[in-house]
Amino acid sequence: MTYQHAQDNWFSAIIIGFIALMVLLNIFRARVGAQLFIRRIPGLDAIDEAIGRSTEMGRPVTMIPGMTSFGVVAVQSLTIFKYITKQIARFATPMRLLTGDATVFAVAQEAIADAYNESGRPDLYDGDSIRFLSDRQFAFASGVAGLIQRERVAANFMFGEFYAESLIFAETGNMVGAIQVAGTISFTQVPFFVAACDYTIIGDEFYATSAYLSREPVLLGSLVGQDIAKFTFAFLALSGATLATVFGVDDSIIKLLGQPGGFDAFIQEYFGGGTP
Amino acid sequence: MQPQTIWQKMLAVDRRLLYVLLLVNIVMFLLVPVRMPASISPPVQKFYDTIEALQPGDLVMISSNWSASTLAENQPQLEAVIKHLMRKKARFSIISIEAQSRDISYRLAERVTKAEGYEYGRDWVHFGFVPNLTVAIKGMVTDLPNTIKQDVRGTRVSQIEMLKGVNSLRQYKLVIDVTPSGTVPIWISYSPKEVNIIYCPTSVMAAEAYTYLDSGQIKGMVTGAKGAQEYEQLLGIVGLASRFTNAISFSHVLIITFILLGNVAMFMNRLAERREA
Amino acid sequence: MTWQLNPQDQWLWIWAIVLGAFVLVLGLIPLLQVLPPRGRRALVVGITFLAGLFFAAEFFMPVNEEQKNMLTPAIQPAQNLLQLIGALALGLGTYGLVRLHLKNVVQKRTQWGYSVVLLVSFVTMAFFSIWNTLAEKELAPKTPLLENSFKLLFDFTLVQLDAAMFSLIAFYIFSAAYRAFRIRSIEASILMFTAMVVMIGVVPLGAYISYDLMGFSAEPTPEGASFVQMLVHNLGLPKVANWILTSLNAPAQRAIEFGVGIGGLAMAIRLWLSLERGIT
Repeated sequence: MTYQHAQDNWFSAIIIGFIALMVLLNIFRARVGAQLFIRRIPGLDAIDEAIGRSTEMGRPVTMIPGMTSFGVVAVQSLTIFKYITKQIARFATPMRLLTGDATVFAVAQEAIADAYNESGRPDLYDGDSIRFLSDRQFAFASGVAGLIQRERVAANFMFGEFYAESLIFAETGNMVGAIQVAGTISFTQVPFFVAACDYTIIGDEFYATSAYLSREPVLLGSLVGQDIAKFTFAFLALSGATLATVFGVDDSIIKLLGQPGGFDAFIQEYFGGGTP
Repeated sequence: MQPQTIWQKMLAVDRRLLYVLLLVNIVMFLLVPVRMPASISPPVQKFYDTIEALQPGDLVMISSNWSASTLAENQPQLEAVIKHLMRKKARFSIISIEAQSRDISYRLAERVTKAEGYEYGRDWVHFGFVPNLTVAIKGMVTDLPNTIKQDVRGTRVSQIEMLKGVNSLRQYKLVIDVTPSGTVPIWISYSPKEVNIIYCPTSVMAAEAYTYLDSGQIKGMVTGAKGAQEYEQLLGIVGLASRFTNAISFSHVLIITFILLGNVAMFMNRLAERREA
Repeated sequence: MTWQLNPQDQWLWIWAIVLGAFVLVLGLIPLLQVLPPRGRRALVVGITFLAGLFFAAEFFMPVNEEQKNMLTPAIQPAQNLLQLIGALALGLGTYGLVRLHLKNVVQKRTQWGYSVVLLVSFVTMAFFSIWNTLAEKELAPKTPLLENSFKLLFDFTLVQLDAAMFSLIAFYIFSAAYRAFRIRSIEASILMFTAMVVMIGVVPLGAYISYDLMGFSAEPTPEGASFVQMLVHNLGLPKVANWILTSLNAPAQRAIEFGVGIGGLAMAIRLWLSLERGIT
């Protein structure tokens, strides 16, 4: 049995439902006017500084979602890039958005055009600034590295999912003296970004970025919901560890917390019946 | 401002000098025939034990998704895995997710199996490549022959001797994922619970997998070339990894030496600046 | 209930579906243009919701003994549709790339020579790759010219370039580590020290230093050992490195992954219900 359906472990499905409910509830709270707080993220404050520097130097800004395929991560990356583009549009600073995924490329064209429109500078939009280079990892990496070197970019923003190519981007940016801000959910690439970039946004901070930049109630409310979910996870982890210590790892209550079929085994043992 | 003192020069060292030093270091230690025995790490021991527990004729699925770029790490892993499976007389099928990794793993398996008299179609088979691993695994669980349809040589799966009566991935005993990319969570999520999973990542991807190792979702792990060396040592063979690890060991030493030198330079420079002030 | 085609009806159905999709798309485009912005948004929101609902319902609906429910057979065709969209986008991306570089060459923009290299490489690789695929399906002749050219372009060029790019990382990590690992604070010192222990501990040199030179025990801790004995038994660099990886690195990573997973789920809910206004 695998985790292909909710029935594989109803308890997991209940947790998913609970997280969804918390997120939606807090979005509603924020919409009706609750004041929500978000802590400072220095890497995001640096975005404006980096754009300012690019403008002064007259060199382009690069935005790289990497090989991120189209999905929630790519949408989040493009939301951040849209914000950056709006800032850029005020100073007419040149920009390049380089992607290794064709679907992201198609959506990015629309998003960036929208950003220029919303800033009141549709004339600045140049379709050639958004480039799909290659969907082969290292062909894409060499394309990006080449462009950073040739155009001597002044600011480099990398947001998305990254693999082994991350250090090639970050170190090339470092060579040309660009201010670099990276944000990724790819745990394995964080050390490379930390070593070569000025600021790195790690893990779920990546998802908090759009809320931080826009201060939109919907996004802030969603963040509060996520925090409640995190506390729930911490509570479950702690309870699991305690219960496993007391009852042993083979007890059905432990399986309930984390195994396919665990819900049925739990009901069977504690209530003497099958799944309703 | 031009660097003046030796410490300032060290802090502003041209990175090309570092590159040359690393290159010389790697080439030199690849050529030096010194072999240091490895200490067998627990994940490699578990990996070895999982394959050791197989019975003759057991079915094993190898997911091989690496291409030329990570050859130095993944080739020794796959070679050692195939040799171990042949030693246990297990039957195996290989599956890839793109054309280059299909070609490389097919050629490698052909070469390694030929030496041991393993016959294609009877003892091993290559499923070619599937564009979407999630869909393929889900499909193989419910109906393997109709998901794969034909092997790399164009033979229909139902006509392959090794796969007679095989309808589902559930009939396999083990999945071995040899890969530089994040495919192992897909195998964990979608393959049947009764099928064990063991993992051969590149060194950089291994950090992510310790969490699955701890939870028992993967039963063992061979990390990059250095893990492959430990595995080769357990198997009693001298393969590619045993030749590579010397260079890796001494590259680590070189990097650590330079990190220390960088710190010394930073301290001495600060000291000099304070004195001047 | 099946969502796959019966082989007998295949051609009829294929034509019906292709024509149906054609009419639907042709109908949708003018509809989107005619509708006022609010109506257009309602249409997009509705389609997004239905598409999301399909996957959510398939996950939550109870399944039978074969692990299937009413919607399960439709998952594969839906995934195929996603691949189709990906393939269309790839065509769009490739067109954009070629158009940009053709413009560079025609208008002789700065460094247009690189664009010539790209275009020539693109056409050559595409030509031999398509020829080879056709030859594999026995739709084109497999000549020595094809075999040699394919080997030269893929095995001796593309594969080697791929390997060279990956190897660059070793050099880059050296220069990045030299620059970044400086003892500027207590945290940075801990980071540097831990990195060094792991770097040496995971390679054979670590075992040589700990067990051969320093004489620590390589054996596992004996049963019933005291705390001090356990400590002494586990001082070897390989054991310390393994402890750092499994007991310090893995839990921290798991915590981050919980956050990432929850963040992704929240984002997915916002997109599904069209609450996310970022790029939509």
